[in-house]
Formats: sequence, structure tokens, C-alpha cells
Amino acid sequence: MSKNYEEEIRNMVSDILEIPAEKLTPDADFFRDLNIDSLKAIEIVAAFEKKYRIIIPEQDIPKIRNLRQVVEYTAPLKKETHI
Amino acid sequence: MRWDKAKIQSVLPHREPFLFIDEVIEVEGTERIVAATYLREEASYFKGHFPGNPVMPGVLIIEAMAQASVILFSLDRPEVAAGHPDYYLGKVKSEFLAPAYPGDKLIVESRKVKFLDNAAITETVVKVDERVIAKANLIFSIQKK
Repeated sequence: MSKNYEEEIRNMVSDILEIPAEKLTPDADFFRDLNIDSLKAIEIVAAFEKKYRIIIPEQDIPKIRNLRQVVEYTAPLKKETHI
Repeated sequence: MRWDKAKIQSVLPHREPFLFIDEVIEVEGTERIVAATYLREEASYFKGHFPGNPVMPGVLIIEAMAQASVILFSLDRPEVAAGHPDYYLGKVKSEFLAPAYPGDKLIVESRKVKFLDNAAITETVVKVDERVIAKANLIFSIQKK
């Protein structure tokens, strides 16, 4: 997994949450540590879907709780769209 | 398929004088709806906004966009809407391009961006006589009772 992609994801989430990128550690829990609510969560999901032309099923959203999981979840989907 | 006031009120909790959708004139599955709002000269907000120079307040145009978006949400998530949840507008990115006056007919178009059971995003456009007078991206939450 490329560092560039991780950085891209970090910056994107940081912009939406309006928090400094350095606070977004790979394992910081979105809900417990960063206080993300349903509005921020849907904003992040919609931004990913638009940028990478992927669909994130609703039932998967609660399972993606930190930056590491976002990268792990979205990287394969992103790859598929380029085949 | 047109919706009259009764059908609109079966979905929206809003009532006069804070109901800003008079009819739904077009439904495109669960992706897009087009609604209409008639700006009546006797509406109370025109009396104070502004005396002698009545203009529809921009926040009420956003309210019309939000109400149209709730109707669209109810088409996409009928099982959630059936529980008559509370809808809370959370974030608005808007642009106003021209004023709306008494007598105007607002055409309010709402398009789905992303809907979940507890949150929704729509892109909305308001037109008067085919001219776009306002645009907004709305994010709202849905709280089950």
C-alpha cells in the first residue's frame, strides 16, 4: 500500500473533520477519540465514493473506525476501479 | 406522479406557516424530486423582510430545499420515514444568485448524493422561471424517536 495513498486519505479526512492531519493517527478511533457524529461519517463516506468512484455498503460503515481501517478497506476497491 | 398537500404532510412534520412545499410535481425514483412552492403576498415573512420591499429570506429558501430533501429521503427510506423521525439540518453549503419575490413560484429540485438510515446528503437547486436563484448542498441527520 503506497504512502501517498495513506497521506491522501489522511488529508481528505482531516479536511472534512477540520482537525490537523497530525492528530489523525492510524489507530485513533473516529467515534471514541475524534467524536465523529453521523453527519461527519456520511460526509467522509460520500467524499470517498465520489473521489474513488466506489460504493461503500451501509453495513460496512460501522466497521471502519480508524484511518488504518479506511486505508485497508478502500485500497482494494480503488484498485478494482482501475482494472 | 404529483403529490398534494395531504400526501406531503403525511411525510413532513411541518405545518403552516412553516410548510414550504406546496406540491411535488416530479419524482424520479429515489434519485430526484421536483417540488413547487408558491410565494403568497400575504406570507408573514414578507411583512418584515422588508417593509415596502418584500424579498423571501434566504434561510427560508434553504428550509424549502431541506423539506424537499426530506420528502426524497422518505422515498428512499420508507421504513425509516414511517417511524416519523426527527430531521435535523446539520451543514449547509449554499449560494444565492437572485432574489425571490411575492408571487414567484419556486421550483425546488433535490437530488440524492448519499442516504443512510441516520444521515443524508442532497444537492438542491431552486429556480424561478427556469432561472437558478439558489443552490445548496445539505447534510442532515435523522433521529429515530
